[in-house]
Amino acid sequence: MKAVIWMIVGGLANVGLVLLVAPLAQGVLRKVTARIQSRQGPPLLQPYFDLLKLLGKEDIESGESPGMQRFAAYLSLAAILAVACLVPMGFSAPMNGAGDVILLIYLLTLCGICTLLAGLAAGSTYSLVGISREMMSMIVLEPLFAIALVVGALHAQSFRLNEVLSGSVYAVAGTPYSGLIMLVVMVLSFQAFVQRVPFDISEAETELMEGPLVEYSGPKLALFKYAHMAKLIIYSALFVTLFVPWGSGLFLPLAWLLFWAKVFVLVLLVTVVAATHARYRIDQAIRFFAGLVGVSFVALILASYGH
Amino acid sequence: MTAREMFEQFKQRFGPLIVRADLPSDNRLFVFVDPSSVRYVTQHIFRELDARYVATIGADDRPFSGKFLVSHNFAFDKEHLLCGVLAYLPPDKPQIDSITDMVPAASWGEREMRDLVGIEPVGHRYLKRLVLPDGWPEGSHPLRKDTLWNEVPAEYNPEREFKFDEAPEGCMVVPFGPFHPTLDEPAHFRLFVEGEMVRGCEYRGFMVHRGIEKLAESVMNYNDIPMLAERICGICGCVHNVAYVQSVEEAAALKPPPRAEYIRTIMLELERLHSHLLWVGLACHIVGFDTLFMQSFRIREPIMWMAEKISGNRKTYALCVIGGVRWNITPELKVELRAVLDKLESEWRPVIAAVSRDKNIQKRTCGVGVADAGLVKNIGLIGPVARAAGVDIDCRRDHPYAAYDRVEFNVITEQGADVWSRLLVRAKEVFESIRIIRQCLDKMEDGPLQLEIKDELPIGRMGLSSVEAPRGESHHFVITGENNRPRRWRVRAPTYQNLQGIPAMIKDQQIADMTISLGSIDPCFSCTDRLETVDLRSGSVKVWSQEELLKLTRKKAGR
Amino acid sequence: MSLLSKLGETLVCLKAGRVTLPYPAEAKPLPEKFRGRPIFDATKCIGCAGCANNCPAREILVYDVCQEIRILKYLGRHCAYCGRCADVCPEKAITMSQEFENGTNQIGDIQQRLELFMSTCQRCGRCFKEPSVLEQLKMKGYRFDDLENERWIFRSQATLKGEPVVEDLKIELD
Repeated sequence: MKAVIWMIVGGLANVGLVLLVAPLAQGVLRKVTARIQSRQGPPLLQPYFDLLKLLGKEDIESGESPGMQRFAAYLSLAAILAVACLVPMGFSAPMNGAGDVILLIYLLTLCGICTLLAGLAAGSTYSLVGISREMMSMIVLEPLFAIALVVGALHAQSFRLNEVLSGSVYAVAGTPYSGLIMLVVMVLSFQAFVQRVPFDISEAETELMEGPLVEYSGPKLALFKYAHMAKLIIYSALFVTLFVPWGSGLFLPLAWLLFWAKVFVLVLLVTVVAATHARYRIDQAIRFFAGLVGVSFVALILASYGH
Repeated sequence: MTAREMFEQFKQRFGPLIVRADLPSDNRLFVFVDPSSVRYVTQHIFRELDARYVATIGADDRPFSGKFLVSHNFAFDKEHLLCGVLAYLPPDKPQIDSITDMVPAASWGEREMRDLVGIEPVGHRYLKRLVLPDGWPEGSHPLRKDTLWNEVPAEYNPEREFKFDEAPEGCMVVPFGPFHPTLDEPAHFRLFVEGEMVRGCEYRGFMVHRGIEKLAESVMNYNDIPMLAERICGICGCVHNVAYVQSVEEAAALKPPPRAEYIRTIMLELERLHSHLLWVGLACHIVGFDTLFMQSFRIREPIMWMAEKISGNRKTYALCVIGGVRWNITPELKVELRAVLDKLESEWRPVIAAVSRDKNIQKRTCGVGVADAGLVKNIGLIGPVARAAGVDIDCRRDHPYAAYDRVEFNVITEQGADVWSRLLVRAKEVFESIRIIRQCLDKMEDGPLQLEIKDELPIGRMGLSSVEAPRGESHHFVITGENNRPRRWRVRAPTYQNLQGIPAMIKDQQIADMTISLGSIDPCFSCTDRLETVDLRSGSVKVWSQEELLKLTRKKAGR
Repeated sequence: MSLLSKLGETLVCLKAGRVTLPYPAEAKPLPEKFRGRPIFDATKCIGCAGCANNCPAREILVYDVCQEIRILKYLGRHCAYCGRCADVCPEKAITMSQEFENGTNQIGDIQQRLELFMSTCQRCGRCFKEPSVLEQLKMKGYRFDDLENERWIFRSQATLKGEPVVEDLKIELD
C-alpha cells in the first residue's frame, strides 16, 4: 500500500517539478544566450508567458489529418512526462517497480516518433523534408543512449531503474573504461538529444520554416514547445544520474538540491555550446554520429568483458 | 587604350557596319550599327575582344527620332572603357536578333526589353514573362511613350496564373518563397528536388516592381530623381543616387567640385562598410550561428550613427544633387569619423581572425554554391561573387569615378569560388574601405559643395555610369530630355546579373545549401525589380496559393 | 583547435557587454542634423511655392483662392524626409525637426496648412531665387492643386478663373 502511495505522490511530484522548472530552464537559456550576444534578452519568466499566450489562442484545424495532429501533440508531452516518472530526481524513482530501463528506452524513442507523426499529419513539403531528417538522425542517435543504459545495466547486473540510474557505468573494479568512453560519447552528442544548435537540423528555422512543426499553431504548438523544454530537463536529469551521480547518497534535501544544481550546470553548458556554433548539415551530422556509434560499440564490448 | 584607339580597332574589324560613332570622352564609346549586324558585332566584342557584358537597354525613342532604340553595353575593364552598341529599330514592328545564345548573360535583359518596351528578341529560347505581372495583357508595354504612367490597362486580368515549367523526371517540387524566413523580399524559386539534392530551379520574381523608371521619365525632374533612386535599394541606396547623378553629369559634361567628389567617395565607402558587415552577420544567421549575427550588427552600429550625424539619416543619405552634394563634413565630424573607424577596425580584426579559424562555419560554406570563372564570364557575374572566383574586376579601379582615381587601395580576390571565399572577400574589403576613407579624409580639399549650373542641360545626350556597389557593379544609363527630366533612365543593379547565375550555383547541391548559396550573392531584390506600375498590389503571389502548390507537389510525388 | 577558436569568439562577445538601448523608456539621442518631420513657419513664408515645385514626392500642394490669398498645404503621407524643401526655401521658413515618432491614426496631426496673404506682382507674381537652373519654377502663375482630394494637378494658369479647373486623372486612390 505504502508503495502505491509513494508511486503516486512521487510521480506527481516529479511531473509537477518538471512542468514547473522546464520553462525556467528555457528562460535561463535564452537570457544567457542573449548576454553572449551582447543584448538584453527576454525576462527569465518569458517562456511561461509564451506558453500561456499560445494556450489562449484559437485552436485551428489545418494540415492533412487534423485528428492525427492533435494526437501527436498530446502524445509528445505525455511521453516525456511519463519518462519523468521513471527518473530518480534526487530521490528514488517513483515508478521503480512498474518499469525498467527497457521501458525508458522505448519511451524516449516514442518522443522522437511524435515528431514523425506531427510532420506526417501536416503533410506539407517542408514538414516532410523535416521529418526525413529527423528520422535519419534518430536512427543513429537513439542507439547511443540505449548503449549507455545497457552498459550501466551490464555493470549493475540488473535492469531496475534505481540501480542503473545511479552512476552504474562506473561500477567496476579498476578503471571504468567503458564508462569513461560512454561519458565522452554522450557529452559530444548531448546537443542532438535536446535538439539544440549545432544539431537542431530538423527544425532549422532559416532553412525549412520550422520543419515538422510548420502547420502547428496555438494550443497544439504550446504542447510541442512544452515537450521540447521538458526534454532539456529530462535528458539533463538522465545524464546526471547516469554519469555524475556523486552526492546522491546524502540525506534527502541536500541530495535533491545537489541534483538540481548539477542539472542547472548542464543547462548552462548546453546554452554556451548552442550560442557559439553554427548548424551542421544533415549528412555531416550523420557521419559524426555514425562514428560515435562505432566507438560506443567498442565500449559495449568492453563492458561485457567486465571493464 | 583610349576610346579613340578602341574605335580604330572596331573600324578595322567591321568598318562598313558602323553607321555612326560618338566618343564623348576618353573612356566612353557609343557605336551605332544596323540592327542586322548587332549579333556579329556583339559576338566579336564579347568573345574575341573579351569584353564583359554589362546591360541590355531598350528605349522608345519614337517622339524624338521616330524609332526604337536598343543598346547592348559592354565593359573593357583593362582598358578602362565602357562601350555601347546601339541600333535604331523601325517603329511599326520592332525586333532584333537575340544575342543570348552567344552572350548568355543577356537573357534577362532581352526578356525585360520585350516585356516593357515591346522589342522582340528574335531567336531567344526562353521567352517567358519576366517583369510584368501575370495578369498584364499582351501588347501593352509600360515603357512606351504612349502608355500613361498611372493607368492600368483595361484588359488586366488578376485571375491569370503563371505557367511554371514541368519538373524533370523523378523530382519533387519544393517551392522556395515568395514567403520564406531567409528572404527579406519576395522571390519565388521553384526547386526541383531529388531526395536531398537540387536538380534544377525556376525563378519567378519581380514582385516588388514599382515603376521607378517610368516615373522618372514621366513626372519627376532631374533633381528629384536622386531621392527616388536611393530608394531603389534597402541597403545600397547611396550607390544608385551617385550613379544616376554621375551619368547625368557625364551626359551634360558637368564636373562636380573636388570636395564634393571626396564626400561622395566617403559616403559610398561608409555604405560599403555597413553593407558588408550586415552581410557577414546574415550569412552566419542563415547557417544557424546567431551569435556572430548579433556581434556583427553590434560592431556595425557606430557606422549607422556616423552616417546619421553626417547626413541626417541612417541609410537614405539624400546625398547628391546634379553638380554636387548637399552635406558637408566639418572638422568635428572628421575627428569623430576617424575615431569610429579606428574602433571598427580594432573590433573587426579579432572577429575575422576567429571566423577564419572556425572549422564549424567552414564546413557549412566550403564547396557550396560554386561559381567558377567560366560561369562568371558567361553569365556576367560581378562583385564579390566574381572576385571570389579569382576574376579581378572592380569598377572603382577599372572605371574610376568620384575620387577613386586619387586614392590607393587593393582589390581583394580569392580562388575558392564558393561561399567561404565570398565571405573572406567581403570581410577583407572592410579593411580596404577603411583605408580609402582615411585617405579621403587626409586629402580632402576645401571648396564649394555644388556647381553653379547656369544653363539648362542639353537634350538628347547619353551618359553611362558604373559604380561599384557592395554587391557588384551598378550601371546607370541616361538619355537627357526636355522639361527638365531624362528621356530614358535605365538602372541595371548588380543582383540582376547575379541572380541569373543562381540556377547553375545550386544545381547538384543539397537543399540545405540553397539558402546560403542564395545569400552569398547578397541578393537585393528591390534593386532588381525596378519598373512599372503604380497601382498594382495583387499579382502572382495571391493567385498561386499555398493549397494549390501543395496539391501540385502531392500529385507529383504520387501521394 | 576548433574549441579554442570558439572560446576566443566567446571572449570577444562577452567583452562587449550589453549594448541594448533602453528606448522607448529613455529618449533616443539624436544628432543635430537629423532629418525628421519638416515644420513650416507661416510668419517667414513668402508663398513662392519653391518647396511645392521641388518636392520629389509631390506632397506640398498650392491653391490660389484669389489674387491675394494662397493656401499652402503640406500633406504628411508620402513625405520622404529628404529635406529638399528646406534646401530651396529662400526665407529658411522650413526646418527639418527632430521628430521621428510620427505615427498617428489621424493624418491631420501631421498635415500643416498655411494661409498666406500675397501682394501682387506685375509679371508672374512671385519672386523665387532658385539655387540652380534645375530648380526653377516649373509652373508660374496661379496654381490649382486639388486640396480636397489631396492630389497634385499638373497645371497652373496665368489668369484666375472663377471656378477652379480640376482635370480628372485616371488614378485609383486607396
